[in-house]
Amino acid sequence: MTTLHVIAHSPFGDERLASCLRLLGADDALLLCGDAVYALRNGSEPHRLLQAAGLAQRLFALDEDVQARAVGNDLAKAVDYAAFVELSLHYDKVNSWL
Amino acid sequence: MAKSLLIISRQAPWNGPSAREALDIALAGGAFDLPLGMLFLDDGVFQLAPNQQPAAVQQKNLAANLQALPMFGVEELFACSHSLARRGLAADTLALPVQVLDDAALAALIARFDQVVTL
Amino acid sequence: MKFAIAVFSPAHAPSSRRALRYAEAVLAGGHEIARLFFYQDGVHSASANVVTPQDELDVAGQWRAFIAANQLDAVVCIAAALRRGVLDEAEASRYQRPAVNLPKPWELSGLGQLHEAAQVADRLVCFGGD
Repeated sequence: MTTLHVIAHSPFGDERLASCLRLLGADDALLLCGDAVYALRNGSEPHRLLQAAGLAQRLFALDEDVQARAVGNDLAKAVDYAAFVELSLHYDKVNSWL
Repeated sequence: MAKSLLIISRQAPWNGPSAREALDIALAGGAFDLPLGMLFLDDGVFQLAPNQQPAAVQQKNLAANLQALPMFGVEELFACSHSLARRGLAADTLALPVQVLDDAALAALIARFDQVVTL
Repeated sequence: MKFAIAVFSPAHAPSSRRALRYAEAVLAGGHEIARLFFYQDGVHSASANVVTPQDELDVAGQWRAFIAANQLDAVVCIAAALRRGVLDEAEASRYQRPAVNLPKPWELSGLGQLHEAAQVADRLVCFGGD
């Protein structure tokens, strides 16, 4: 079964993103929201980590959080809440890294 | 058929109530005979460290409650090998009998459960 | 499709607001919310005593209104609530505490309600950690 992983914490000084990327299944997806969108900042270490992970169409970011933080986003597909709900159904389960 | 639930516990034992409240979810589910698994990941593996003295910080013995898991029917217990290694914890010294899994095995573990809660 | 939504953070946490916006989107998408379950610091999202400055979002108030307007089943975990001082009338009386801060539409109950919701729902989605 596939999993939509959701991370809301800043990747700086926090283990969630690194741990999640290690456990991510080949058909799983990752949604960044809250401060986790800072991982999309170009030139940052987490951005390099995400690029290396090669998630392609399986990386998403909650658009309101990207906008609020003025983070340039060249990696993730920006989604709104309606799309977040649809993603929750597209993948077999949702795992939020609280 | 009942949906299976994997509980991933990521917090150290004395970092507030999180470790205990993750365990409570497992015990409650076990009491209802639900198919559950529990994974200790990141700082969560510190819950398994041997020789802890919770009384020193005026806390209850979490390890004793963790050991009750099989009695509640929660026998699928796992720990992340990477998390253990990073923290200098040897798999054979842990306070709870757990299956130690590498990253690939953990991905497969998560994949086979119907639902996951990570706290 | 049926959703069970669990909230682990207080009203002032970004994840509580996010959970509410998500819950709204679930209903707007034509889906059902089997139950809202408030655990850990999520019990504070149910507190009637939260006072937000006038120029800030009253998330606790919005949760109350959302639950009432949609007649949703909103459960607060009793063990988590007691530990954090969120009490309904019965518990305040039982433990002789001076304040009641858990009003209707919230109900205090056990973790069994979280498990039951997870069993009946197609998806269990959790918010919190901040």
